[in-house]
Amino acid sequence: MKLFRREPEAEADVRPTLLGVVTLMFLLLFFLLATSSGQRLGVVDLRLAAPGEAPPLPHAGLVKSVVVSLQPSAARVEFEVATTDIASSADTRELRAIDVPSSGDRVDLAALLAALETVHRIDGSQERAEVRPSPEVSTATLLAVLDVVRGSSQAPLFPRVSLQ
Amino acid sequence: MKRFRRREEQASVGLDVGALAPMVDMMTLLLVFLLRTYSTELAPTPPSGPFALAPTSSEESRQGGIEILVATDAIYVDGQRIAAWDYAGTEGVVKPLYDRLLASRTKARAEVHADGTVPWRRLGRVLATAQAAGMEELAIVGGYRGSL
Repeated sequence: MKLFRREPEAEADVRPTLLGVVTLMFLLLFFLLATSSGQRLGVVDLRLAAPGEAPPLPHAGLVKSVVVSLQPSAARVEFEVATTDIASSADTRELRAIDVPSSGDRVDLAALLAALETVHRIDGSQERAEVRPSPEVSTATLLAVLDVVRGSSQAPLFPRVSLQ
Repeated sequence: MKRFRRREEQASVGLDVGALAPMVDMMTLLLVFLLRTYSTELAPTPPSGPFALAPTSSEESRQGGIEILVATDAIYVDGQRIAAWDYAGTEGVVKPLYDRLLASRTKARAEVHADGTVPWRRLGRVLATAQAAGMEELAIVGGYRGSL
């Protein structure tokens, strides 16, 4: 029986292969470092309301409109809610507002997110929101608020944002 | 002596596979990190003065178009200085920017790179000017600050 037993094969030397991989990685690293920059860009598409533009057709869901009034260190979420689902009733809308407090000298983004999620829970089909920044609001604050209003790709809130 | 020397030589020949494997792992991790955080799109900067894009969590990438850079002191279009804020008035369209955008109306999209400290009273004027000049698509570009 011993005669038919296979002799254990000598292990293949994988070092040259691994060294090749490491060398390739090194080359790729240098190539990447030479051709790219450390700052990745992100683009926020906007819709700017034209002067005198007619308002969009009313939304069919419960939340008719969402407006975020933005100050440098505070915000206010105003939304119009239909108090009945009978579409023909003209005077059944109610304007509600949620004041977002400041966090230090900035807008409390967590509180803003909670306010917008509250509105989104009422009517998840509403995708539009309008942001009205005051003249002194910085671009950094505006972009941070736009990120919150749009939501993430996993949990979108109001992806169609317009600026007034 | 000879016997001892031969043993030492045999121990130091080549690299051990166990030492190479973690190196490959590290390289792979570095590559993934670089691919996620680095970008081949170079952010435009003004020739002088401080400039820092506002952070954003948007992962959408640039789609081309006219590049408007709004710094704290001036406005640049495609790298060319167009107007200084000190001489651009306080309201309405920014006339030099409007003229420059009208001259390049072959592009219908404008991407605005604004310094994070620029107030809305200026950024809003730039966006309104671009819209008045016929730009159909507008976008603000920020520095991506998302997680890996």
